[in-house]
Amino acid sequence: MIVEFGHYALVLAFAMTLVQSVVPLWGALTKDERLMAVAAPVSVVMFLLVLMSFVVLTISYLNSDFSVLNVLENSHSAKPLLYKFTGVWGNHEGSMLLWVLILVFFGALVGAFGGNLPSDLKATTLAVQGWVSAGFILFLLATSNPFNRVVNPPLEGADLNPILQDIGLAIHPPLLYIGYVGFSITFSFAVAALILGRIDAAWARWVRPWTLLAWCFLTLGIAMGSYWAYYELGWGGWWFWDPVENASFMPWLAGTALLHSAIVMEKREALKVWTVLLAIFTFSLSLLGTFLVRSGVLTSVHAFATDPARGVFILTLLCLFVGGSLALYAWRAPMLKQGGIFAPISREGGLVLNNLFLTAATAAVFVGTLYPLALDVVTGEKISVGAPFFNLTFGPLMVPLLIAVPFGPVLSWKRGDLLAAAQRLYAAMGLALLLTLFTFWLWGMEKVLAPLGVGLAVWVMAGAVSEIVTRVKFFEIGPKRGFARLVGLPGSAWGTALAHFGVGVTVLGIVTASAFQEERIETMRPGDTVDLAGYQVTFDGAAPRRGPNFTEEVGHFTIRQGGVHVADLDPSKRVYTARQMPTTEAGIHTIGFSQLYLSMGEGRGDGAVDVRVYFKPLITLIWIGCVIMSLGALFSMADRRLRVGAPKPAAKRKTASLAAAE
Amino acid sequence: MMFWILIALLTGAAALAVLVPLSRNRNALTENSSSADEAVYRDQLDAIEGELKRGLINEEAAEAARTEVARRLLAAHDKYHERSENRFDSRRLKAAQLISLMLLPAAALGMYLALGSPDEPDLPLTARLSAPAEEQSVDVLVARVERHLADNPEDGQGWAVIAPVYLSLGQPQSSARAYANAIRILGARPDWLTDLGEALTMVNQGLVTADAQSAFEQAVSMDATAVKPRFFLAIALGQEGKKAEAIDAWNSLLAGADETAAWVVAARQELAALENPDAIASQSRGPTQDDIAASQEMDADDRQAMISGMVTGLAEKLSTEGGPVEDWNRLMRSYMVLGEKQKAEDAFADASTAYADKPAELSQIKDAASKLGLPGF
Repeated sequence: MIVEFGHYALVLAFAMTLVQSVVPLWGALTKDERLMAVAAPVSVVMFLLVLMSFVVLTISYLNSDFSVLNVLENSHSAKPLLYKFTGVWGNHEGSMLLWVLILVFFGALVGAFGGNLPSDLKATTLAVQGWVSAGFILFLLATSNPFNRVVNPPLEGADLNPILQDIGLAIHPPLLYIGYVGFSITFSFAVAALILGRIDAAWARWVRPWTLLAWCFLTLGIAMGSYWAYYELGWGGWWFWDPVENASFMPWLAGTALLHSAIVMEKREALKVWTVLLAIFTFSLSLLGTFLVRSGVLTSVHAFATDPARGVFILTLLCLFVGGSLALYAWRAPMLKQGGIFAPISREGGLVLNNLFLTAATAAVFVGTLYPLALDVVTGEKISVGAPFFNLTFGPLMVPLLIAVPFGPVLSWKRGDLLAAAQRLYAAMGLALLLTLFTFWLWGMEKVLAPLGVGLAVWVMAGAVSEIVTRVKFFEIGPKRGFARLVGLPGSAWGTALAHFGVGVTVLGIVTASAFQEERIETMRPGDTVDLAGYQVTFDGAAPRRGPNFTEEVGHFTIRQGGVHVADLDPSKRVYTARQMPTTEAGIHTIGFSQLYLSMGEGRGDGAVDVRVYFKPLITLIWIGCVIMSLGALFSMADRRLRVGAPKPAAKRKTASLAAAE
Repeated sequence: MMFWILIALLTGAAALAVLVPLSRNRNALTENSSSADEAVYRDQLDAIEGELKRGLINEEAAEAARTEVARRLLAAHDKYHERSENRFDSRRLKAAQLISLMLLPAAALGMYLALGSPDEPDLPLTARLSAPAEEQSVDVLVARVERHLADNPEDGQGWAVIAPVYLSLGQPQSSARAYANAIRILGARPDWLTDLGEALTMVNQGLVTADAQSAFEQAVSMDATAVKPRFFLAIALGQEGKKAEAIDAWNSLLAGADETAAWVVAARQELAALENPDAIASQSRGPTQDDIAASQEMDADDRQAMISGMVTGLAEKLSTEGGPVEDWNRLMRSYMVLGEKQKAEDAFADASTAYADKPAELSQIKDAASKLGLPGF
């Protein structure tokens, strides 16, 4: 009965989305406050209903209720409790239900905490969110219903894909979905603004926390996915330019651009038209990602569903939402008044530059991801666009962007002075140069690009620090007042600095881990030792072991440095019994920010195994940097104050810069 | 009934979420909705003063910013007064109420009746397994014993109980494992050894393997008069091509046998086949015990040719019209026996594709493949 109750709750939620799609919008268009007032409570009830059905599905998983087809196909009674729980979204139907849950959750957040919004904007935004929710709940019910039942079910299920039986599944999808789906609310805001014809600085202010929230979680979700792939797939790679990864990366790039252009809109009411377009694009890219993953166009760990009917349904939704919003945009955009004007060299100009590079980078990833698919569809020819393509397109686009990053925050609004800005960054430049030379001295000339990359990363990090320090004139007013001012800085300033610093940290990790990685692939017998990066890795032998739902061959390795014992590592090869599927568990030892990565290959029968040993210098910085970036977003979100861009008046430029120099 | 009441309550609560705001007093609503835009710009003006006070911007910059924000504030103010008269329309209200009162329950219930299965009870696994034994199917009982044995793998009596059940369910592999466990834990018994041998023989499609043979021999050594193990040992001799010894074995088994016993007929047939090999005709496409026996008699090349012929026939049939899981498994096994590992892998891949959407069958296939030592994917 519980199962059917959950099913009914989902159906009722769908009926509620229909009310939500119509009534508040009708109210907003006819200025009827009573109809508009429906939006907020309905959004909360919708969330509660979907939550109820999600809880019911979870209970079915925990109880191994195989009369639910979804549980039968994706669970197993011997599965550890954690994976029974996370297995709820380790499959197409369940993860789609999580998708919808987060969708209505964001609606409910706006409904509950959007008290500062004008009632018509709030009602219309929630109505648009209602359309999106209606589309996706209908998709669930019609093509991927998680509550389909089985009469006389078997006593054992087919188990969860073993690669997904990992703590990563508990963290990665929820984070990623909050990010992915979170951009739906900025989309709804954008469409509502277009419908109502109100696109102004205030709009940008209201959208800001939602964009930041989505971006923060998307960053964490992508980073977590990358780390998961790194330790679970056993290849030692952390980013594969896999279409599914790209599908999450494109909304991130577009979302990052949106974040920056919205600042200009909020402070100076410029770039309005562009910001709204970016909001539409960002969510469209999220939808595209969903389409790629769910339609069976791609095959990967993520591609649960390979049912063409689902693909067609999502494609229809995609065309409807993207096409509809762009048509609305084409109709409304020419009617918008242009906002504040600015000179090319200014904070606004810097943010435009940022947007140019980020959108170009999005386009590069877009082409690299979709071109092979399109070619396959049109000509049947299968090509694979791998890392070389992205390294040649995405990479060069990032270099000028990263060089420009520290300049942005130190430029003035409206019209800036590049030289004065550069003066504030002398220290950062010096430090970057010093570290570049140091890296050259350390590694010689054999890898020319790597030291430059290190310099670039240091430049971004030091730039973020010096922006904060010079902003409060730390060294001019003395440390005591300096600290007081640092603490008093608005959250958004700290957010900017932290996020930019995080970018630098991630870049540093990427450069060092790719350029200075050391790798050995050996066939080792018990007692053999491999020397790598000053560590001696000794293979002590392998032994079989039984887990709850798998058997594994566990290797034991001892790591020593100069004869001193450092760590023991136990990488393994597992075979999950229900699906007879092998997986690799890498052994990882972290030394500072660097890692020693061990993964076992096939056994050779006579006790010998193939072993890959990597030393990856500073690799953890890649993910630490992402965490710092998200922290920056949180700081910025916590800033309850408003952003005002105080423009520098043109005629009094000289005195102003004199004042700044004092 | 309880279910329908709950559903009605849920629907009612949902409808209230629409109805309550619709029936709110109009004054309460208009008061709250003072211009939110103006509030933002007023805050912006305050923020400028704050930044000026803390020395983050200078007076001129503050003045320029103030002008810009003030312009926006005025625009927002005008706009708000244009649109601020709130219009209520009772017809619109009626329509909205109608939607929530009629359409909402109708849509939800109609859709649920089309999609849901209101009569299906929940079936949590623990409840299914702990229900009274007489109400349960054999599958459930087997699963119960399996769970018990997974927790208590040293319960020899449990293994002994489930072993014959497996055999009767057509799972000789599991049966053999269960017998082996029972013997390991509780010590050898002639009847268990015999059944172990029989299960192993069934696993190998009637071929008495070395394992099975040693089990039978051990049984005979414990009980020299036992018929069943001797019967299988005689078959084994025949399969090995030791014709004279096999005939002797059959004769000694049949000497003094109760002629009404069921096995006697089969024994006589085997004996006749050994004494008169030409009379054998292969009747069916599957390898019968006789076929296998016959194949032992041929020389190596002929035997290989016969097996390949059968395998090709089976492969063709499976690739064109498909077939049950057992046939696929047999095909894989045959290829492995013939030493054609690649073809076995292909057969495994084909079988997996054929049963891709049937998890239960698929796991059987994978099970079989893993036992043959085929690499999974």
